[in-house]
Amino acid sequence: MKRTPATPLLAAAVATLALGAAGCSGATNALGGGKPLNAADLKLTPTTAQATGRLGTVNWLLEDEPDSLDLDTQGTSAGRTVLTNVCERLYQLQPDMSVRPFLARKVTRPDPTTLVLSLRDDVTFHDGAKMTADDVLWSLKRHADPDMEQADEFGNVKKMAKTGPHEITVVFKQPDALFTKALAGDAGLVYHRSQVQAAGKDFGTPGRGDACSGPYELKSWKSGDSLTIHRYDGYWGGKPLTRQVVFRWASDSAFVNALTTGAADGGYAEAPNTAAALAGRKGLSEHYGPSTASLALIPTERGGLKDPAIRRALSLALDRTGIAASGYGGLVQPWATPVGSGAWGYAKPAFAAAQRKLNATAPERPDAAGLARARKLVKEAGAPAEPIVIGTDASQGRTVIANAVRAALQRIGLAGVIKTVPTAQFEEFYSSPQARSEIDVLVGDWYISKSDPMGFYDNALSDSPNNWVGFKSRSYDSTVHQAMRTLDDGARARLAVQVQKEFADAAVWIPVAQVPAVLVLKDGLTGPPASQAHLYYPWAAELGTEPGSAPSHQPPGKD
Amino acid sequence: MVRRLVRRIAGLIATLFAASFVIFASVYAAPGDPAVFLAGGRDKLTPEKLATVRAQYHLDEPLVVQYGRWLWDCVHTDLGRSFRYGDQVADLLAARLPTTLELVAYATVLFVLLGVGAGVLAAVRRGWVDSAVVGATTLAGSVPSFVAAIALISLFGVQLGWFPVTGGGTGFAGTVHHLTLPALSMALGALAIISRVTRQAMLDAAAADHVEVARACGVPEREIVLRHVLRNALGPIVTMCGLVTAGMLAGTVVIETAFGISGIGSLLVGAINTHDFPVAQAVLLLMVTGYILATTVVDLVHPLLDPRIKAARSTV
Repeated sequence: MKRTPATPLLAAAVATLALGAAGCSGATNALGGGKPLNAADLKLTPTTAQATGRLGTVNWLLEDEPDSLDLDTQGTSAGRTVLTNVCERLYQLQPDMSVRPFLARKVTRPDPTTLVLSLRDDVTFHDGAKMTADDVLWSLKRHADPDMEQADEFGNVKKMAKTGPHEITVVFKQPDALFTKALAGDAGLVYHRSQVQAAGKDFGTPGRGDACSGPYELKSWKSGDSLTIHRYDGYWGGKPLTRQVVFRWASDSAFVNALTTGAADGGYAEAPNTAAALAGRKGLSEHYGPSTASLALIPTERGGLKDPAIRRALSLALDRTGIAASGYGGLVQPWATPVGSGAWGYAKPAFAAAQRKLNATAPERPDAAGLARARKLVKEAGAPAEPIVIGTDASQGRTVIANAVRAALQRIGLAGVIKTVPTAQFEEFYSSPQARSEIDVLVGDWYISKSDPMGFYDNALSDSPNNWVGFKSRSYDSTVHQAMRTLDDGARARLAVQVQKEFADAAVWIPVAQVPAVLVLKDGLTGPPASQAHLYYPWAAELGTEPGSAPSHQPPGKD
Repeated sequence: MVRRLVRRIAGLIATLFAASFVIFASVYAAPGDPAVFLAGGRDKLTPEKLATVRAQYHLDEPLVVQYGRWLWDCVHTDLGRSFRYGDQVADLLAARLPTTLELVAYATVLFVLLGVGAGVLAAVRRGWVDSAVVGATTLAGSVPSFVAAIALISLFGVQLGWFPVTGGGTGFAGTVHHLTLPALSMALGALAIISRVTRQAMLDAAAADHVEVARACGVPEREIVLRHVLRNALGPIVTMCGLVTAGMLAGTVVIETAFGISGIGSLLVGAINTHDFPVAQAVLLLMVTGYILATTVVDLVHPLLDPRIKAARSTV
């Protein structure tokens, strides 16, 4: 399932509407203390140093209150960041973005269209009940319900059945290489059936318990105030270092202030601008990890950018380093593909090498040769008569990108105009061809939940609703479908690289930068992963104090 | 008396009814499509999926039908479920309302004490004190509340560390500690108005004949100010304080955002941005109700302060 980071969007909207602080100070380093980063120096490390010391209560900051704790009906980053410590999945995404079987102890594939999940028999839910194959099957069927968010992950599934006391067998219509990746996401959540059914419509709302088996249990959720999870003593796995985590939420400058003043001990900063404002603050450490998120220009079905040659020319003329520095405090990295390096859950060297090769189509900075090539492309294609309309909202990063696009167009002899709309309306560009009919290119952001580039490239299939420019290529379509059916990682990686090359050559989207995951911790604390895996991996269980450090403000955990 | 009460209540209901329709229509007319938010991820935004979502939430029905449906449920004390949170709207409001009310109450206490105090001081000590008070309150009043919030946060929160910069706090002491800076940011804007009204009302009251008589009779100045001047000046002061407080109920959004407080203001902004109709509708209606109630209370308190008004009304 691909989702967009809704929270930063919302935060930006609130800031634009009300605060002014984000525009004036919160977004850059002007709040004091922050030091500008150089995008090229950004080192992405999936993990942080292992923690050894126990902690009592930790105050954790989210950028927004979770909408719901039922991820089937309403999945947001805030909800996942909390629930990943409480609920477990059949597979688990690791900090390095690879996946491995988890509540499924062992997985076999007797043939390419059959997946047999042998379940753990030592797992108990938080109410003390044992996890059964019936619970797992019921959970999978709930996820597959067409009304639920994960339904699309089950498109290839022909049958799911219990085939033993601890065994579930999934039969596919055709081999599905991404299904096990989905099982490491929300499609693999295992619930205690009777708990979910007893809660009915109220499942996942404040004041309700959880129905899960993770290292933490949901202790309380006071709507509008805070959310507390507490270590579950009957946990089947290793014991977490931190006893209790209290979540509160704030956005923009309130997020920055809470961490700066020590009101919070840590948080994952979703908005790059918030992370930039916190970089280099005294008493805090900031860790950057791989994520699948990216910034990209998404051309629409109308106007001058319908021509692939003009799109390629624009890509060659875009100053990605400049955007990273002035729009995002150096916290995003110029990038040549539409998904971040967090998508490389396997075959990393192959994907890294392929990405480097694509730099020629999406340079960090336009050079003279590139610009000459771009101008030639425009000349051959013929300059469009109308100026190119760039759609954006008023958030700082997007505004900078929109201006950079206009500058790039000027460099290649084309005119550009910027159309700014309110954030609520901006979201409509993604869904409504009618709304898009007003713009030629959208300053977009996107992330995928699966650590596999193929989780993205189906968006450019001839019949995909997200293929706005009408890109049609028989070879692209067949390679994508083939990759989706290819279970072997190495073979699929080769196909993915091929697909990626064709996508870049046609400039279906124009990649701008990858957006890292950012973890902010109070000095003395360490342990959680820094990568996007914090949405699907029990990060709080590994949070503790650094070896040899004992922060005085933390009462020691009672065991 | 009973007839007056019935008339007042009928007027209240009519106002709420009209307000609810206007609010419903304007929330509905806001740009953006709620189905986009309800559908989930961007990859799911196919026309078919959006149509299904619209049907599921009755968004495809005409506005009047939707309003009728909402009103019917509302009369049956069902405010519906939030599109975004899946929770009962009433529960969402109940969880956030106390924080906002506490914030407004605290700000009211601050601006009444400081504003009326400053006004009285300016009226009694004419000359340079008067000029200083007028100048200072004008300056305070001309600073937008979010600017005041940023300044207060950076000085008393971040630099000095005296006050927390996020959240609403728990317990009485915790709440007061957490809400001091937000309440002060809100109160500063009201200071100029209240102190100005107080000052002018005091000057008007001081010019009355009976004050001169009292002074001629040798009544101590302190008593004259308290019993004869301030008491007679209370009418306009209380009216203005009531109106400012009522206005604050709808104006906490900015402060709640700056201080990361989850009150109904931030709930409203979130609801509008995600097209969470049931929540936006309920919060706006609550704000209108709060405004009407606050002004009604001012209206009722007025005669108690000034027997002349009571006498005049009771003859009607």
